[in-house]
Amino acid sequence: MYLNNFEYFAPKTPGEALDLVGRMGNKAKVLAGGTDLIIMMKEKMIQPEYLIDINNVKEFKGISYEPGKGAVIGAATKISELEYSPVIRDKYFALHQAAGELGSVQVRTMATIGGNSCHASPAAETPTPLVAFGAKVVISSVSGDRELPLEEFILGNRKNALGEGELLTQFILPEPAPKSASRYWYIGLRDAMEIDAVNMAVNIVLENDGRTVKELTLVMGSVSPRPLVSVEVPGILVGKEFNSELVEKAAQAAAGEAKPISDIRASAEYRREVTAVLARRLLQAAFDAAREV
Amino acid sequence: MNKDFTQVGRSVPRKDGPIKVKGEAIYTGDMVLPRMAYGKIKRSPYAHAIIKKIDYSKALEMPGVLAVVTGDEAPNKWGIVPQTANEVALAVGKVRFYNEGVAAVAAIDEETAEAALDLIEVEYEPLPVLTDPFESMKRANEVRIHEDAPENILHSGDQLFGDPDKAFAECTYILEREFSTSYVNHAFLEPHTSLASYDTQSGQLQLWSSTQVPHYLHTQLSIVLEMPMSKIRVTVPAVGGGFGGKGEASSSDFCAALLSRKIGRPVRIVFERSEVFATNKGRHPCHMKVKIGLDKDGYIQAVDFDNTMDGGAYAGWGIVVMFYTASMIHLPYKVPNARANVRRVYTNKPTCGAMRGLGGVQPRFAMECMLDEMAEMIGISPYELKMKNAVESGYRSVSNLHVPHTEYKKCLQTAAERSGYLEKHGKLPFGKGIGLAGGYYISGTAYTLYQSYKPHTTVLLRVDTEGGATLHCAAADIGQGCNTVMAQMAAEALGIRYEDVHVISGDTELGTFDLGSFASRLTYASGVAIKEAAKQINDKLFEVAAGMVGCRADQLEVKDCRFFSKFEPKKTIEWAKVVDVYTNSVGTLTGLGHFSPPRLKGIDLTRGKRVQGANIGHSPTFGFSCQIWEVDVDLETGKIRVDKVTEAGDCGQAVNPMSVDGQVEGSILFAMGQALYEEMKVAPDGKIINASLHDYKVPTAMELPEIDTTIVDSYDPTAPFGVKESGEGPVQPTIPAITNAIYDAIGVRFTDLPITPEKVLKALKEKREKEKSEGK
Repeated sequence: MYLNNFEYFAPKTPGEALDLVGRMGNKAKVLAGGTDLIIMMKEKMIQPEYLIDINNVKEFKGISYEPGKGAVIGAATKISELEYSPVIRDKYFALHQAAGELGSVQVRTMATIGGNSCHASPAAETPTPLVAFGAKVVISSVSGDRELPLEEFILGNRKNALGEGELLTQFILPEPAPKSASRYWYIGLRDAMEIDAVNMAVNIVLENDGRTVKELTLVMGSVSPRPLVSVEVPGILVGKEFNSELVEKAAQAAAGEAKPISDIRASAEYRREVTAVLARRLLQAAFDAAREV
Repeated sequence: MNKDFTQVGRSVPRKDGPIKVKGEAIYTGDMVLPRMAYGKIKRSPYAHAIIKKIDYSKALEMPGVLAVVTGDEAPNKWGIVPQTANEVALAVGKVRFYNEGVAAVAAIDEETAEAALDLIEVEYEPLPVLTDPFESMKRANEVRIHEDAPENILHSGDQLFGDPDKAFAECTYILEREFSTSYVNHAFLEPHTSLASYDTQSGQLQLWSSTQVPHYLHTQLSIVLEMPMSKIRVTVPAVGGGFGGKGEASSSDFCAALLSRKIGRPVRIVFERSEVFATNKGRHPCHMKVKIGLDKDGYIQAVDFDNTMDGGAYAGWGIVVMFYTASMIHLPYKVPNARANVRRVYTNKPTCGAMRGLGGVQPRFAMECMLDEMAEMIGISPYELKMKNAVESGYRSVSNLHVPHTEYKKCLQTAAERSGYLEKHGKLPFGKGIGLAGGYYISGTAYTLYQSYKPHTTVLLRVDTEGGATLHCAAADIGQGCNTVMAQMAAEALGIRYEDVHVISGDTELGTFDLGSFASRLTYASGVAIKEAAKQINDKLFEVAAGMVGCRADQLEVKDCRFFSKFEPKKTIEWAKVVDVYTNSVGTLTGLGHFSPPRLKGIDLTRGKRVQGANIGHSPTFGFSCQIWEVDVDLETGKIRVDKVTEAGDCGQAVNPMSVDGQVEGSILFAMGQALYEEMKVAPDGKIINASLHDYKVPTAMELPEIDTTIVDSYDPTAPFGVKESGEGPVQPTIPAITNAIYDAIGVRFTDLPITPEKVLKALKEKREKEKSEGK
């Protein structure tokens, strides 16, 4: 279980980091939390020649929030920081929930929000709510920055949209709409340290009447190679008064959209069934919470 | 409970507690010796294959590599059961499970050793892989795993007690069911670790090992290395859990020793978790057909037990576990007629062996669930049925198991009362359920792997002015706490304080003989030996003390560090002063005590005929317990949440009640893992596909339910200090209690493990469809 020999760099500024990423290209791997990377190296799945540790670049870390504009989260921000951030809890509750369910305390202390999206595991926790919030990512390189919706950044199992010489540096989360709320949950065997069989986030916006659904996003994780944004669920509920009949219809629609596989954690059939359950429960929970806002 | 005890019955902090909590305990893997080299084992990528050729010349050429050994250099067979020993240090000629060791390397560091493994070239001729015991028996003509086992069966046993056929014919209620249990392992924290140091001058070998069985390891090393035992010393540093998985030698022990002898330098081998899975010796998956018959009043008349056990590649503890499963049907209920047909089958998987509560867990699952179902057939509470059939003190089973003392009924009663079982059972809303199960386990086992009357435990007590009291015994404290309870019992017997007793254990050179930490034997066994040893010391000190206080020696007692006259309590003197006088004139005081378990014959009492294997499971006494589980089933996801566990146990006199609670709580979480989460998944090619603690799901702290434990008032007058076991009995009721609770919640009886949300959801769906088709 030993790592291959590699050269280690620890840039201190964004410029240094982007310069290294640009020069070393595919021979390098970026070390953020290392909770996936080091395991892959130990298991000899990858053997990078260079590691670029971005933990010393303070510009890549931290959560900033401006009322009315939204939040910007540095890609090297630790999951535990999201878990305990009052802003994330107040404004982006589903992300707070997902951060609290990722791995173990030890893993959350090391792992980063950027790594969770870049690793692009279909069962990843944070991309699901981030996509539900309409998060965009900032991709930086020596030649400048570009922005991409997160759902377009994650391309599939362990595939992302980073080109050679590019680094994921920020997540931009829009300001939550008034009368909105979000919820996240998952289905797994245990209540901790679980690889989710299914996870899901719902972000709902209500009209002023507190009953009519104005906007809705439902995102499913672990039932497709990348976060799956439901097309049918908003079609069923948006513009309608929220009621259990529609919720049931929406839940079945979500299950129908899911494209799960069978693996050692669960069968496709089970995943599909509980997708409907999660959808039903989260739609209700998010609606109840939005009414309280 | 004996109210006169002052040291036994105290909830003292464990001897090993503070250093473990502070991270200061030294495990084998923490040890570094001068010039120490590092060993690694090359493992087979096939689960069943002939080894055509091993070429390690390139590995030897690699800078930093010191030596390579292969199986041909140490072909002597070892095994925990001498009659069935068929394992080797490294595979000889053939591999029989995926990741079996074929060669071992020693190098100047672990990284070099690991890299050298890739340079060892092994040529294999793959053979068909058998992963299922039924397929293994069926295809035995064509694929043979061991040459001496033509049917791919290690051993089978047929036992008959009384006349079950006649009894069944007269029964009012008969139930037949099939049960299967899953393939699980211990998941102890510390992987197998061995450090060997061979001195080329003296020819002396010392092995530090994470083992439960220093003595057995000692004998096996002697066989494999062809060295006399007197030239070998086994030392057990702190051990990070065993649960049976370290109850045999490990290939790490042999490979470290062989490599050290070859290079004349110490060699340390630490297993990866994947290697622990590969060589795990976990619990036998059992496929059981069980038939139980009751008379019109609900009394058990007969049990018919058929068990096919998936044993994996080698013998290990197999034959013992097999006969245990047969033995376990005779208690904790009165069974006048019984038949057992059992067989343990070879497959190309890691060998199954001993795991906490071995042999008991699988038949208990079947029987406790079936009695639950039969109570429903009769229309009475499972509690009533179990109370009615429960054994009492002095009971002797038809197989000659003798229960000198039991408070089993008190366990059932206490757990039922504290949980409100009778008020809740059958009356909770759909989705919520409560389930009851009982269990028992051996204590101080009478079966001996030695076919002799040799004492199984010897304790040397030493009293010196300088040293206070010191207890020597080669027993292994693997975290179960034997050092603590031995010190408490020695303190009680000598009339001094627990804090004043030093324990030297886990070393075959410094300690007197002990068979090992397994079969819940040590508290009982060491207790007997401690009493005998302490009496010798007390007898000598009484004479001196008597002279000092002015009374007859036989009028003296010793307690709270003082000698005093029973009749004139004012005639008293401090223990230390008497020791001073004794040692200053006569010298060091020692006492030696032994324990030999009673040798009960395994016979059918109705005929007086010997029954093969029926003496396994005999024990000088037995621990009993009852658990009641309350579950909440999520009807939409199938997920089972455990709300509460109520446990009541008869462990005789608790030596350290705090440790008993720890054992019980640990047992509950341990067995809950097998019930709901854990399972090694094996691919058709024999590879374990979830060989990590990431994918093999042990319960976490989040799954830990609320647990209410009660140590019922108990004292076994035939046992030293009234003690019984508490480390393996409490795992017995867990699985059936959960299963019965799930039945109470959703009306589905599960007969295979683990009971995953997916299975629950599927069963609920089938139930609904069935009810619909029946027009309910």
